[in-house]
Amino acid sequence: MRNNSFKSSRAQEYDFAVALPAVLWQILFLYVPLCFIIYISFIKAIDFFIFKNITLANYKALFNPIYFSIIIRSIFLAFFNALFCLFLGYPVAYFLALRAKRFKNMLLFLLILPFWTNFLVQAYAWFFILDYHGFLNKVLLKIGIISTPLHILNTPWAIYIVMLFCYLPFMVLPIYSSMTKINKYILEASSDLGATNWQTLGYVTLPLSLSGIRTGFFLVLIPSFGEFVIPALLGGGKIMYVGSMISYFFLETKNVFLGSAFTVLSGACLIAIALLIYLVFRKLSKPSGFTGATGPSIKTNNSAKLSQGNK
Amino acid sequence: MREIKLKNIKKIFNGEVILDNLNLTIPSGEFFALLGPSGSGKTTLLRLIAGFEKADSGHIYLGDKEITNLPINERRVNTVFQNYALFPHFNVFDNVAYSLKLKKVKKDIIEQKVINVLKKVHLEKYIYKDINQLSGGQQQRVALARAVINEPDVLLLDEPLAALDLKLREKMLVELIDLQEVLKTTFVYVTHDQFEALTVADRMAIMNYDGEIEQVGTPKEIYEFPRSAFVARFVGSTNIFKGILRIEPEKSYLDIKGLGSFEVVVPKDKAWAFDGAIVLMSMRPEKIEISKKKLEGFSNCLEGEVDSIVYHGRSTQYHVELKNGKIIHVFEQNEEHFPQEVIDYDEKVYMYWQKENVVLLEK
Amino acid sequence: MELRRRISPYILPFFVSLVYLALYAPIIVLIVFSFNKNPLSFKWHGFTFEWYRELFSSVEIVQALKNSLIVAFSSVFLSITMALFYVFYGTSSFLHRLMLLFYGSLIAPEIVLAVCLLSIFTFFSIPLGITTLIVGHTLIGLAYVVPIIKTRYQEMDYRLIEASMDLGATESQTFYKIVIPILSPAIISAALLVLIVSLDDFLISFFCAGASTLTLPMYIFSEVRSGATPVVNALSTLLLVVSTLLILILTSLKLRTRIF
Repeated sequence: MRNNSFKSSRAQEYDFAVALPAVLWQILFLYVPLCFIIYISFIKAIDFFIFKNITLANYKALFNPIYFSIIIRSIFLAFFNALFCLFLGYPVAYFLALRAKRFKNMLLFLLILPFWTNFLVQAYAWFFILDYHGFLNKVLLKIGIISTPLHILNTPWAIYIVMLFCYLPFMVLPIYSSMTKINKYILEASSDLGATNWQTLGYVTLPLSLSGIRTGFFLVLIPSFGEFVIPALLGGGKIMYVGSMISYFFLETKNVFLGSAFTVLSGACLIAIALLIYLVFRKLSKPSGFTGATGPSIKTNNSAKLSQGNK
Repeated sequence: MREIKLKNIKKIFNGEVILDNLNLTIPSGEFFALLGPSGSGKTTLLRLIAGFEKADSGHIYLGDKEITNLPINERRVNTVFQNYALFPHFNVFDNVAYSLKLKKVKKDIIEQKVINVLKKVHLEKYIYKDINQLSGGQQQRVALARAVINEPDVLLLDEPLAALDLKLREKMLVELIDLQEVLKTTFVYVTHDQFEALTVADRMAIMNYDGEIEQVGTPKEIYEFPRSAFVARFVGSTNIFKGILRIEPEKSYLDIKGLGSFEVVVPKDKAWAFDGAIVLMSMRPEKIEISKKKLEGFSNCLEGEVDSIVYHGRSTQYHVELKNGKIIHVFEQNEEHFPQEVIDYDEKVYMYWQKENVVLLEK
Repeated sequence: MELRRRISPYILPFFVSLVYLALYAPIIVLIVFSFNKNPLSFKWHGFTFEWYRELFSSVEIVQALKNSLIVAFSSVFLSITMALFYVFYGTSSFLHRLMLLFYGSLIAPEIVLAVCLLSIFTFFSIPLGITTLIVGHTLIGLAYVVPIIKTRYQEMDYRLIEASMDLGATESQTFYKIVIPILSPAIISAALLVLIVSLDDFLISFFCAGASTLTLPMYIFSEVRSGATPVVNALSTLLLVVSTLLILILTSLKLRTRIF
């Protein structure tokens, strides 16, 4: 209800109480636990709200090349997965938005479908392709590209390949969405003025789809960092990533203190990297003008007059 | 300088034939208008010349070079779009300089050219402005500058003034004429507004609803000597009568059922203008003299009763009902503050015209 | 040069079809092999339904299915109800400005959510099981449902509510008789969405289900981890079919409401 001037204060209290549960749920089960986790990371034993036990011991324990290598490995995974998704996904989005005419809706649907099917099932399905006796090896052997089957499963290769295809829709959809917003006459104008398709892509399409690229990049980056299932299933569970490490702390050793500290630490690293990448995107999307012409030029006599005209 | 030749162009969209067997020659260096109602295919024609569409059959020539299958970016043809299609992420300078940058022209030359062309469209003060800050008219001029900096052989304009208000439109029309005279590039201007076409064109082509070219000629030729009822009706307004042509040794007449016989001038060398043929007569409202009195010296006369009067400021339009029930309209210029003769509703009036001031049409 | 010009328009579609192939090849192979007499070997041994028969007779799977369904439907019910009340009654107080809170569960990586939930449960000594699962899935569900319903509600013609009140309805009558029916397409889509998400969810379930409760995705995970039995293929195929059906219903719903 938008206009409440006619309501009694009791009615307004009722409204508040009824609308509260949703918000309360979020706070109680997400934000409070989040604070809780952060708090725990600074103590060593639960002694019911005694603050004097605050210590950095947990974090000191994590100051170990092993843990850092795990975090860095996950950062690489997240970053490169996003990058590969971008390289693979941009042409797909381009095709869907600007080239596919008859089958566009069907192709979009087919793209979204795996998006919603069980991640687990998708990852499992890749076993059949990547296995030593699997589909991929069979095809490569038949064509003659390789002479002996490749060991892909239980290596980082498997993880990267499966992550790439599982996260691809997350990258394609935002880029597709931003491309459809580009006025098609602008692209025609570019060709009309003499640009080849590649020039139009570089000078016009790419800059105008940058917001979509950024959204897609983060939609892949953030979840990829904490990915647990795919490394566990396809990496043989022997290579540790942040996700598997957290699981190890909480479910196997049940060391919630170290685990929380590790979670907080990884989270902080993720935020730092995300911020960095965000700043890079900011720099990229500044309208610098390829003729370097956001400011007055130096070369002609008229430059003084012109710079006065520009505000 | 190159002329544009379209030969036997056929274009189909979604199973509908938009253009069929279309032939047109646009001479070089002229301001040429393509006038027609919405849906007449004139925009399609323009896009075919630009290269945005491919003809299903036929040939397009620019000078003696065939450009039918040439990709868009290789044609020396540039377009000014109806909604300008300016690059939102570039400022004015970058938009205008785009085509030069693509060709890797040197920076200082680019700058010179951009400043020059912006001067021609009176936008030199806005050279570094963000295009989103510009008004419609300014954006339109940026689009214009962007298209002409390349010195194309042909400039195509697709209803460029449609989004502007009336006063601005009139101003821009004059600027466009001046620009064309300075550049001497062939301008092909597509519009559905006859006033625009008549104002700017050196020559124009009229297209009808079926995507056919009805007539090509100077504005005066088209207005004074339309070759079909469609053209007569579409450009300006007219009164159309149908009758039987009667050619006699001294004079010729059009016998109109219910109204009488009227002296006409039979066009020579027209196969359809034979004795006994059913033809049309187009009579423009301003070519008719209306009076309550009997006047001398006119070849023809019609009687009628004034049905309605519309005052237009500089002219008055009379709708007069004739003997056979048909309504004819007449324009009279309001030359005097206090006219000697005042014509009122339901008055009986006579309408006079000279036989040379009407046109006979086949269809 | 001429050759290049002739094939260049075909390069992109070719590339895209390779991508789609790679996207679907695993799933298709999986489905095909679920009918294989010996799905663990990668050779075709003959067509059979036996894995599906084993599927339906497995007590473990049936129990896991029951758990998944109970959790899913409960989460749907809870998240939809709370979201509706929040959207309709929340605009009268500052609560509606707290919309941002709901995006937190979408932004944070799922493992962080899982771990937060686990810790809070452990701290308050709440036994892990169906209840904790429902709590976790509802949390995720809210993040999807609230934005959807809120957007639709804001797009709704407010004068209908005013008309209803003008004709004598109380607020709650308006809510039940007018708002909910009008929002029903959005409600159904949101519900389907939460249903799919909940049925497919693994990570939160993995952390919050405890030792004795198993959902379908958890079952698949443990089976695959420990060396897949053929039944997992059949189960996966069935899950794919069910998800696809739900998506088809969801899309056709969305298409139909757009026409209106």
